[in-house]
Amino acid sequence: MADIYASVGSTVAIPKAALDKLVAKLNQMGYSVLGPQIQDGVIVYKSLKGAHDLPKGYISQQDSARYRLVYTGHPRYFDVTPGAQSWKQFFFPPQTELAEFTRDEKGRWQTAEQVTDLTPLALFGVFPCDLAAIQIQDRIFLREEWKDPIYWSRRQSAFILAVNCLHPCGTGFCASMGTGPKTNQGFDLNLTELDDVFLVELGSEAGRLVMEGMPILPTSAFWLQAGQKSLEDASTRMGRSLPRPQDLPELLLNNLDARQWDDVARRCMSCSSCTQVCPTCFCWDTRDSADLAGQNARRERLWDSCFNPDYSYIVGGNSRPNARSRYRQWLTHKFGSWYAQFGTSGCVGCGRCITWCPAKIDVTMELKAIREEVQA
Amino acid sequence: MIQTIGNPHAISPSAPMQPYWAEISDIVREAPNVSTYWLKFLDPGLQEGFHFKAGQFNMISVPGLGEVAISISSDMEDTRRIGHTIRSVGNVTSAINRMEVGDILGVRGPFGSWWSLDHWIGRDIVIAAGGIGLPPMRPLLYYISHHRKDFGKVIVLYGARTPNDLQFTREYKTWQDEDIELQVTVDRGDDTWQGRVGVVPILFYNTRIDPRNTVILTCGPEIMIRFVIFEALARRVPPERIYVSLERNMKCGLGSCGHCQVGPFFVCKDGPVFSFDKLQPYVNVEEL
Amino acid sequence: MTAQKELIRALEAIPWFQMMAPEHFNKILGIAKIFKFDAGQIIFHEGDKEDYLYVVLEGRVAIEMSVPGHGRIRILTAEPMEEVGWSSVTPVVRQRTAGARAVLPSRLVAFDAAELRKLCDEDHDFGYFVMRRLVNVVAGRLLTGRLQLLDMFANPVEQKED
Repeated sequence: MADIYASVGSTVAIPKAALDKLVAKLNQMGYSVLGPQIQDGVIVYKSLKGAHDLPKGYISQQDSARYRLVYTGHPRYFDVTPGAQSWKQFFFPPQTELAEFTRDEKGRWQTAEQVTDLTPLALFGVFPCDLAAIQIQDRIFLREEWKDPIYWSRRQSAFILAVNCLHPCGTGFCASMGTGPKTNQGFDLNLTELDDVFLVELGSEAGRLVMEGMPILPTSAFWLQAGQKSLEDASTRMGRSLPRPQDLPELLLNNLDARQWDDVARRCMSCSSCTQVCPTCFCWDTRDSADLAGQNARRERLWDSCFNPDYSYIVGGNSRPNARSRYRQWLTHKFGSWYAQFGTSGCVGCGRCITWCPAKIDVTMELKAIREEVQA
Repeated sequence: MIQTIGNPHAISPSAPMQPYWAEISDIVREAPNVSTYWLKFLDPGLQEGFHFKAGQFNMISVPGLGEVAISISSDMEDTRRIGHTIRSVGNVTSAINRMEVGDILGVRGPFGSWWSLDHWIGRDIVIAAGGIGLPPMRPLLYYISHHRKDFGKVIVLYGARTPNDLQFTREYKTWQDEDIELQVTVDRGDDTWQGRVGVVPILFYNTRIDPRNTVILTCGPEIMIRFVIFEALARRVPPERIYVSLERNMKCGLGSCGHCQVGPFFVCKDGPVFSFDKLQPYVNVEEL
Repeated sequence: MTAQKELIRALEAIPWFQMMAPEHFNKILGIAKIFKFDAGQIIFHEGDKEDYLYVVLEGRVAIEMSVPGHGRIRILTAEPMEEVGWSSVTPVVRQRTAGARAVLPSRLVAFDAAELRKLCDEDHDFGYFVMRRLVNVVAGRLLTGRLQLLDMFANPVEQKED
């Protein structure tokens, strides 16, 4: 095979069978590779040993409060769209230690040295919505004035192998949010899965290094067109849509007394599933504990949710004492306030909250209802 | 007026949740369940470099129990030690209430937006505070006392539940001596109380305000704040010259944990001091 | 200074009297007198017949209610230029609902309540003017009462059940 030099910014092709070589190469380079695998009937992200662990031949059927994995035997690895888990658990772990304190001989508190695991992560198979979500979380945890050390240490060295989404998930509306089904920038490698080959876009020097030694084929116009067509097809098969998301901040923040909030309050159980599956939700709480002797103490950080009753506790009571005020907080933050706070929408249109809400609440329908109520 | 962390003297940019240790150098009992804890960083370099502005707060940690947001209540221009007036209401504050001089607390800060005194030179200032809302105002009163000629009329309208709950009574005369008018009321008096019985918003009835030149600053229970604003607007003070200090559940002080949000604002970062024109769309929305 | 001159000076100092038409001012002057009280002296008791509407000129007056088991509770204080005993002008209630006591040495102007009601009946313009002012007073007292009722300064530790 001719020696083809793949440069950053170029698109090359590799045979399907080479996918395993990519996993092996990443492992060899010292990355801890994480990828989608089937467990308990759903897709989870965990340690990936080889391409054979990927959910080849499966599709997922998703709708409000419905998620099924179905084996159809097709030859593709990445037709299954994400389950309840997202990649945020790796940069922003659900439970992590913030600090450990010990008393010295004089009884004074000291902060103990923290040991950070610096093994670089490789996220293998990141869909466009999820890559957009990572970039949204970057704005939250990495700021000009400070950087969250846990997020920073993992994010800096992380390798992202993204995948264009050719089999929309049914509840997603990434096309409306501008986050998919085609991957935007921010990846090290971006794959488009065709029948016989993967098209590989090289996004960075790290990506180029991983591709060294791979059985690269020159990219034919036929393949490029096939990739292009698949993406265009995917855009038309979105399960949901959300027109003009940029109008939502004004709509929501000016209609905090809309009747629709009472309507959704009757259905919302405040179970916080949506915030758990959402790849951008970032609220957290601290929990302090000490040993019985009072010599050692620790402070942990845990995922929290604006749906938790204690979340809005203030001295003397609770500033959001019911599902109505909490649901309103979540939706107006996600689609409205986020713009003022972080410069983008908080939603990437992945559809998880629609799939995983046990009460079948669909954010696109709720927003549509508010629009209609206001325009009436 | 989105303020970023201005003087990050006790906030580490690479580990912003890391507390800095400080020793309690003095405790002053102010009222039942309320004391001022004077803290000095164990690192003298940090103590020297620490500066804050009136209205800002620190996050105070008790290892093993938690961390709370406490407004700084001491003089901005004398930072040899930093005062925090703390009311005992929960686990962490009750634990602090049991501490003694020499005990160690964790400190991060200062956080939040501040009362922008430099914009109010020459203005008349009305400070309307209730209960534990006076401590966050005390740095202001110290500054005004030391720079009295910079401002016009200065009036403090202050109320608490009972005469015992009035904060900083020992300092009232000092402020009055600096030509700061002080009107005090209590919700319920007793036979020994010779002063007013009534609520803080009503104190406006006996006050002459020139709405063209007055700034109103208020801090206290939110319902009191609402009625103070009502009285201020009724006297034609424009919303952009009414400032409030809000309080919400705070876990980080960084605008990161999400708990303190009110509408689009993080009270820890965009506040706690807000000009009323910013809050106006949200103030009357229930359960926001 | 003659008693009459003292009265005129006193009334002219009261803001809402400054907006009165001269004929109305003269009418009300005719039913006014000045009272002085020492600190601690009772002005009227709960249950007394309503004889006067008072305006405080100097000092401070406390409004008190007797609660069996709790003694006399001081509900409110009235400062200079504030009214005490507004209920004497409303047609329905015929006795004091609370007591009043001077907290500091005080000087009050008192208007004969029965005469004042008669003047309002006879001259509706005058009556409207007086009632408008008293409605404001009552509104302020109601707001104060409500805010006191909400007990907004209560320490939540005392309120927590667990």
